Amino acid sequence: MARDRQTDEDYVGPIRRLLIGVLLLVLAGTFIVWRIDSPRVERFRAAVIDRVVPNMDWALAPVTGLINLVADFQSYQGLAQQNADLRRELQQMKAWKEAALQLEQENAKLRDLNNVRLDPQLTYVTGVVLTDSGSPFRQSVLLNIGSRDGIIDGWPVMDGIGLVGRIAGVGQETSRVILLTDTSSRVPILVQPSGRHAILAGDNALDPLIDFLEDPDLVRPGDRVISVSDGGVFPADLLVGQVVLGPDRRLRVRLAADYERLEFLRVLRNQPREAISDQGGLLTPFTSPQSPAEQDGGGNG
Amino acid sequence: MADSPVAQRWFGRFWFVVLALGLIFLQLLPLQTIPRSWAPPDMMLAITLAWVARRPDLVPVLSIVSVFLLADLLFLRPPGLLAFVILVATEFLRSRSETLRSGSFPFEWITVALIIVAITLANRAILAVTATDQTPLALGMFQMMMTVLTYPVAVLFSFLAFGIRRPALGEVDAFGRPV
Repeated sequence: MARDRQTDEDYVGPIRRLLIGVLLLVLAGTFIVWRIDSPRVERFRAAVIDRVVPNMDWALAPVTGLINLVADFQSYQGLAQQNADLRRELQQMKAWKEAALQLEQENAKLRDLNNVRLDPQLTYVTGVVLTDSGSPFRQSVLLNIGSRDGIIDGWPVMDGIGLVGRIAGVGQETSRVILLTDTSSRVPILVQPSGRHAILAGDNALDPLIDFLEDPDLVRPGDRVISVSDGGVFPADLLVGQVVLGPDRRLRVRLAADYERLEFLRVLRNQPREAISDQGGLLTPFTSPQSPAEQDGGGNG
Repeated sequence: MADSPVAQRWFGRFWFVVLALGLIFLQLLPLQTIPRSWAPPDMMLAITLAWVARRPDLVPVLSIVSVFLLADLLFLRPPGLLAFVILVATEFLRSRSETLRSGSFPFEWITVALIIVAITLANRAILAVTATDQTPLALGMFQMMMTVLTYPVAVLFSFLAFGIRRPALGEVDAFGRPV
């Protein structure tokens, strides 16, 4: 028996060591390839997620619902108090709604007078949140719509009210939304009454940081923050949130979107704007080496 | 069903993979979409280390690699890096498991704690060397401490739910070999 085991280990030992060596090489290779050629590996990652996560779909929703139910049940004792608060808030909201309706009518009249046309191409696709990032270090969610539904990398994502993030990674049936709170999220913004441009930089806190602000004195807590189309990344004028002064005395944005309940999200179809690439033909001298006849032919063909 | 020793061993291996997949599933549930200032412990790592320290035969290299590579891909971590570090760490722990068996539990806990610290630091060091984006340092350290603190919980859970315990000295399996 003892000799049997000896021979057994003589076989198994080296093979096992070889296996571990190969595995280590493969893993290190994956990491290095990812570091060198990130897009290719990220596409592979999107494909894996696309295969794995929709399989769990049937279980994700009920289990999430069940856990939320338990969490809600625990908070039933505060329900009466909450109800009273909500009623009071509702009263205030009714007053606001009245004001908003009047303003909307006025706004519509003024738009009509000015003959304003809103962008008719800004339509959206709605998706359901499947999973979150699963890690406390990353802020992203996975939607159940993908390239099958015409989703393209880089499109902005909103909930009903405000900007939530942007698409980063599209699979066949799923797509990943990097939230504005993620540490890798950078979005150009405009602070409204003062018209200052800045960058909204996520830092893993609920209120992202306002970065690269030129004149911080002109920006006050309470100012509206909207997106701008700088660099063609986002469509302009999407509501982002309000400026607040963070506990660290830095300007941050309280997001308008409800990050506690990200359930249904809208992906805006962001049409690329036409870029002016050639110099004005009238202003430059005609320098084509081709003969006029040839050029006529080319133009017709 | 699981009375023959071979079947028992394969059952244990199967349950390890199922448990790991279950933990991945739980982490993916969209319960928490607002950023947290704290980080939950890495239960998958704690459970894996507990099983490797106690019953290395139930946690073959291939299960560890496939489970952690899948987690790397799903959790948006640099693919392959953490799986690589954890594979090295578990191989180290595997070679020590015989020594650990004769020691006391605090000794095992300290060894595992050092391994968890080493995993975290090695991970950060490689990311720093390759100039990759790092996760926040404070959050990472917090998660490391939480994982160290939950190790006894992982051990207790593995014992109660799956009967994973340290084989006694001189205990033999059904083939008559030392476990």
